[in-house]
Amino acid sequence: MTRCVRTNLVAVAVLSLGTILNAGQWPSSQPPKPLPARSVDFPPYQIKTLANGLQVLVVLHHEQPSVSFRLLVRAGAVQEPADKPGVASFVASLLNQGTPTMSAQQIANAIESAGGIIGVGSGNELSFVSGAVIKDKTDLMLGLASDLVQHPAFSTEEIERQRSQAVSSLKVSYDDPEYLANLVFDRLVFGFHPYGRPNEGTPESIARITRDDLVAYHRAWFVPNNALLAIVGDLTAEEAFAAAEKAFGSWQRRDLAEIKATDPPPPTRRIVVIDRPGSAQTEIRVGQMAVSRTHPDFLAVDLAIRILGGEGANRLFGVLRSERGLTYGASAAFHTYKNGGDFVAETDTRSPATGEALRLIVDEVGRLQREPVGRAELEGAQDFLAGNFPLTIETPSAIAQQVLAHMFYGLDLSEIETYRDRVMKVTPADIQRVARQFLKPDQLSIVLVGDASVFADQLKALGFSTFERIPLSQLDLNSPTLRRSTPAPSTESREDPPPA
Amino acid sequence: MFRRLTFRACSLAGVVLLLAGAAAPDTIVRPAKFDYTMTTLPNGLQVVFLEDHSTPIVHAALWYHVGSKDEKPGRTGFAHLFEHLMFKGSRNVRPDQHPSWITSVGGQANAFTDEDATVYWETVPAQYLPLVLWLEADRMASLDVSEEKFKTEREVVKEERRMRYENQPFGRLPEIIFDKAFTTHPYKHQTIGSLEDLEAATIRDVREFHDAYYVPNNATLVLVGDFSTKEAQGLVEQYVGKVTRGKPVPRDIPKEPPHKSETKFTVTESWPLPAVVVSYHITYDGHPDAYPLHILAKILSDGDSSRIYRSLVYEKQIALAAFGEAKLIEHPNLFYAVAIVQPGQQPDAVQKELQAQLDRVKAEGVTADELNRAKRQFARDYILGRETVQQKALHLAHAVVIHNDIKTADGEFDLFQNVTVADVQRVAKTYFTPESRMLLTILPKTPTGPGGAR
Repeated sequence: MTRCVRTNLVAVAVLSLGTILNAGQWPSSQPPKPLPARSVDFPPYQIKTLANGLQVLVVLHHEQPSVSFRLLVRAGAVQEPADKPGVASFVASLLNQGTPTMSAQQIANAIESAGGIIGVGSGNELSFVSGAVIKDKTDLMLGLASDLVQHPAFSTEEIERQRSQAVSSLKVSYDDPEYLANLVFDRLVFGFHPYGRPNEGTPESIARITRDDLVAYHRAWFVPNNALLAIVGDLTAEEAFAAAEKAFGSWQRRDLAEIKATDPPPPTRRIVVIDRPGSAQTEIRVGQMAVSRTHPDFLAVDLAIRILGGEGANRLFGVLRSERGLTYGASAAFHTYKNGGDFVAETDTRSPATGEALRLIVDEVGRLQREPVGRAELEGAQDFLAGNFPLTIETPSAIAQQVLAHMFYGLDLSEIETYRDRVMKVTPADIQRVARQFLKPDQLSIVLVGDASVFADQLKALGFSTFERIPLSQLDLNSPTLRRSTPAPSTESREDPPPA
Repeated sequence: MFRRLTFRACSLAGVVLLLAGAAAPDTIVRPAKFDYTMTTLPNGLQVVFLEDHSTPIVHAALWYHVGSKDEKPGRTGFAHLFEHLMFKGSRNVRPDQHPSWITSVGGQANAFTDEDATVYWETVPAQYLPLVLWLEADRMASLDVSEEKFKTEREVVKEERRMRYENQPFGRLPEIIFDKAFTTHPYKHQTIGSLEDLEAATIRDVREFHDAYYVPNNATLVLVGDFSTKEAQGLVEQYVGKVTRGKPVPRDIPKEPPHKSETKFTVTESWPLPAVVVSYHITYDGHPDAYPLHILAKILSDGDSSRIYRSLVYEKQIALAAFGEAKLIEHPNLFYAVAIVQPGQQPDAVQKELQAQLDRVKAEGVTADELNRAKRQFARDYILGRETVQQKALHLAHAVVIHNDIKTADGEFDLFQNVTVADVQRVAKTYFTPESRMLLTILPKTPTGPGGAR
């Protein structure tokens, strides 16, 4: 069959002879030169603050006859009672499940009959209601959104329905190794700081949450002076601001409580194996605390982590996937919040390759800290970020999201315009400085979720001699040891004591 | 060979703010139509150009009309494995150099394979269109994969299967459904294939496959973005236009024989909760019945107001999740509905309720309100699904490759809006027959473990 390919190549060669004088034509051995570039600026947007303190962002776009919105409330897991993880997520899930004047089914029917969609959710430090609709129903959608965010009924019937759904969903999630790995990793890095708590709560905490908890959290944080609204789409700026005023203008401002932020624990080397017998793969997470979104070194750390495992230049992908075929995905991510952040290198690999994959990841983290990055490698990451700019402003929602993020973190909006220049100014010396300052290869948090019987011996042979092996059925995120105090019946026993 | 269809929808004239009674027919804003140009090059490559100057970027989608339904027995998963190999080097491009070139100019590139087609795409700042066309031409004409790269990438694909199918709760659900529902047609197997067949593939298969299917006369290139069509056409002719035409493409795909009686299966998997499935064989994408079937799927399953969600999840609370889909693709496929059973509920009872929701449409039809809602939901999806250059290219290419009629990229909006209550009941009666039905129950292998964690 080699012949078939050769035949093709001969045909190609003949063609190339015919066009050999025309430089730049395929099949030239060098890629062609680009066409003249068009300069591109960040598209226009407008911001106003309503009398009640609600900040409103408007981005216009007239190609498709639709309007979408995103309402952010500056409250999430950080604002919930420390002993009741899951309150923020519980409140978000009930926002569209009834108001004093509309049942959950009436809400669903109203928005869906308009050709619209409304979603709700929450994270570490924000909650949101977002949606989209065919543009003739914009007022209906925004009016509904305003009602949902101001007047959730929190009826006992809906609370119990959501509670049952949440517990059943966790049952499925706790069987999902990817979910588990992320959950345990956050818990290792951030300890009992709110960033380390499971946003969805635990089966135990969900059972303990009362209606009063939900009402109190909602009353404290869901106020216009603690919220941002983006309206995006096929309308004029006047129409958009008028629609925002009409829907949200009567929302009452209230004073906000202060939240006392606790510090995350200092980084400590800790390796946790969640034993899930029969797994086809091991989920691997390696990382530690990094810096917050507003830290002056944000860009340099971001580039460093991208060189480790982001788009454009990606050492982990190269080593684990392209060279060794150990995984489908290998990457590193840099997560930032208001008061902190972390980086995580992640992959999943067949159980027998667990030790090798973990060793390669830890080595790459060490190399980033030990050796300066090459100029070409850094330029690859910089060129991606700077060159990618026009792709990030394609849709009005993507534009709004960038502006909203700056507003949310209190960043100077001019940073959007100067982003490309600032990216290009980062040097290899900057990368090495932040890598030395923030990467501590001997203090990494490591999580493995998989069939420990296959790889436990490999870990010891590779120098990861101290690790905690926790049977999945005994996992308890509320415990400092991550184990239930009264162990569920299990044949598994602990391999090694946890570090002091 | 030029066929220029130019029509701009009268965008504002059609806007009607509807305040009328719920059952009255709705009038929905007609989104603007695509103003494209289509041509076929002498080597057989079909090319579609759609200028979009809103952002200085360009998207290229190169569709090869080959998917997992073209795979031979014993080689399941090969079309997708081959897709991975297209990144492993050609005459002028080193292994993995294609994506790194694209990212170094700020672009994005990837590929995907389904039952019917394999799609390679790039989105780049507009000035890099020549680079994209050069890269695609090079691998179309001269893919050159070493034995070593082939073997490494085969391991990557095996990991992809383990990750998506084997290591996740409910990961194998589609694999089980289609394996049980089909007897003969290759839709019986999933695009990812089996580990055994992946292991059996050879470098010789790679060469044969490239020769048979990766030819310009089996490809459609769609460009959407900030270019002038005239200039872009010159570039396409200069690069991809120079690839030699191949032999006619084999299309000997076995047909699924008619099903003569209901089938029932019960299997076990290591999943945390039971799942139940009800499926019926239906028609293909593009058949006139496809549109009412899509509308029916929306009425049954799109959103919290849909029948299946409302009954099984919200009111009866017997399912953690429940949904249905009319899987309308190139050859006849399935209408199927799935429910994940709540702890403590009987799978049989959940399956009966799921089936009852489908059967009820045969007896009682759907209401005018439900039809209006589904049409609005369809219009919303249509509008929100045409925002990006990538989405626009997807619709145009799908119309050309799967429907063999580019006019459907726009025309489907009207076909959907013309569906009637009677059409929906008729397709339910036509396809939801006992002979065509499959009932599948998937039970957890082991009883639920102790403690709240599992």
